[in-house]
Amino acid sequence: MSDFPSSKFNRGRIFAKTGLKVGTNYAKHYIKSLNSSNSSDKSDLHKETAEQVFSELTKLRGTALKIGQAFSVDQGFLPDEFAEVMTQAQYKVPPINRSLVRSIIKQELGQYPEMIFKSFNSEAIAAASIGQVHEATLKDGRKVAVKIQYPGVRDTIASDLSLAKSLFKRLMSNNGDLDEYFEEIRNTLLLETDYIHEGKSIDRFHKRFTNERIITPEWIPEFSTGRVLTMTYIEGVHLGDFLESNPTQEARNHYGQLLWDFFHDQVEDHEEIHADTHPGNFFLTDDGRLGVIDFGCVKSFPEEFFQDYLQLLPTHLRKDEPEIKKLYTRLGVLRGDPETNKKEMQYYQFCLNYGTAFAMPYKEDRFDFGNPDYKELIRDHTKNAPFGNEPRGNKYFIYSTRAHLGLYHFLMKIKAEIDTKRSREIVNEVIK
Amino acid sequence: MNKKTKKKIQISEAATERYLVNERFTIKSLADELKMDSSEIYDLFPNRRSILEFYYESVIIRYQTLTAAIEGYNNFTMAEKLSNLALTVLDMFQERREFVSKTYNSMIACSNRSTHFEKNFKKQLFYIYEQDKKQSTSASVFNGELTNRFIVLHFHGLINFWLRDSSEGYQKTMELVDKWTALVQEINYSSVIDRGFDLAKFAFYNSPLNCFFDFNNKKGAHT
Repeated sequence: MSDFPSSKFNRGRIFAKTGLKVGTNYAKHYIKSLNSSNSSDKSDLHKETAEQVFSELTKLRGTALKIGQAFSVDQGFLPDEFAEVMTQAQYKVPPINRSLVRSIIKQELGQYPEMIFKSFNSEAIAAASIGQVHEATLKDGRKVAVKIQYPGVRDTIASDLSLAKSLFKRLMSNNGDLDEYFEEIRNTLLLETDYIHEGKSIDRFHKRFTNERIITPEWIPEFSTGRVLTMTYIEGVHLGDFLESNPTQEARNHYGQLLWDFFHDQVEDHEEIHADTHPGNFFLTDDGRLGVIDFGCVKSFPEEFFQDYLQLLPTHLRKDEPEIKKLYTRLGVLRGDPETNKKEMQYYQFCLNYGTAFAMPYKEDRFDFGNPDYKELIRDHTKNAPFGNEPRGNKYFIYSTRAHLGLYHFLMKIKAEIDTKRSREIVNEVIK
Repeated sequence: MNKKTKKKIQISEAATERYLVNERFTIKSLADELKMDSSEIYDLFPNRRSILEFYYESVIIRYQTLTAAIEGYNNFTMAEKLSNLALTVLDMFQERREFVSKTYNSMIACSNRSTHFEKNFKKQLFYIYEQDKKQSTSASVFNGELTNRFIVLHFHGLINFWLRDSSEGYQKTMELVDKWTALVQEINYSSVIDRGFDLAKFAFYNSPLNCFFDFNNKKGAHT
């Protein structure tokens, strides 16, 4: 129930404090390891530090927490313990003051929750970076989820992004042009804070996808505004709870397949893609369906980028190096001939290795995401990424990769073996 | 809420609207608007100012009714209860923002006598403190008239901040309420003063300087 730091100074202070904590923890560990022959378990250190970072970032909420969330779908930049703890940032942020929630509803919907709804649970069932969700029942008996946006979140977008930008500029040896990437993130975040925009996306996805395999909520516009979003409630469990129940391989494959197919159905439509593919946005329902929520980050990519992006998959599988070079040049990753330029060769080698590993699920009709060697392979290539040099690649990679990599991350966690036949056909069909 | 109070609220709310049209409106014009006799109004209020001031008093009455309807209110933290008080009052002020903007400072904040609004606001603060069992001992000792007066002063400041707040849905004011009540809670729940008092007590009874205060041993501990 903590207060929300909205000033640039306060948010900057929390950033700095977090950095200091991480530094102190690792310095302490280093000194301890010098004085002791027993090398203590580094895993505990990572977990403890990650929990501290999580606790500080949750105070910030808003954009800063979004950046934290980005790490939770990471495949190798951070230790596993970090990614695990940061996954909590998706839906386990401390909720805001219950009286604020009432007042926001009164402001936005004209009446207090007890007057609008038949019942309203003042305890949030999920709280994330931009808002928190409450369970309620409409007077007509429908069970709904009411998403409330934290006050002042829109105002923090500009200040957090400028802090993040200055941090990135210090990390990159060659700053390059970060502006277009930050502009893309800023525009997306602004749309994410417009709940009417999200309501319309919910509507489109509900019409397109709700079937015997997928369930998406129904938007209730009469109880929604720019800062309050009401939608029908989806019952189910999150991935973490599902895995704790020790599920059978069959169940793992079933839910994994649903998500894989959901992603490729969107590719087939190539109109818009749910680009927030993290475990917090999916429910596994008792009737065997996949519940998809949170349509704040739905992206449409320009046709040219989308074609080139998908072309990478079969081109890597064919090992067609001249075509691979052409595609990465068009996608803004390569800026010269790798044969004559050492730096370009570094980028090319990374693209070749990582791209080939990434395309592997599309090689044959079945793919086992539970294979630990595959996870290691992806991690190893990520660790060798030359990202420290300068920003590279089309700005649309930010969200296309987030969606696609998020899918892989989910499938690796659930350890599903996937039938990829139809998805391979879809990719080939789309790039014709 | 009884019939008489409901009628008083109806009259005062109509008066706030008349006031915006004509600050020196007559009781008769108000009675005409409400389709009642002037004597009915005079039975309840002595003059125009008392009708307008009752609007502010009625806000606290309505706050009590609204709060009683909140499910699980007793489980709210002190910060949440204080926020509820401030935000519910603000929500009602929002309905008559223009009137509040014109009269709050003259009728309430800068009034040279203690208004019913202030008295009742302090009473609500007292209830919030009284019901809270998590307060530190020192905080519960200090939470009296002086603290309440201090909070009321802050509340006047908050109203003026809100009147100048141009953010969408007065989000900045909401943030301020959130921060302010979180701080008040932190001060009330903190046992730093309790611990400090404990330490001071220990130091006092065990310090050699203690002899100067030992009235039973007039010669002092050193002799």
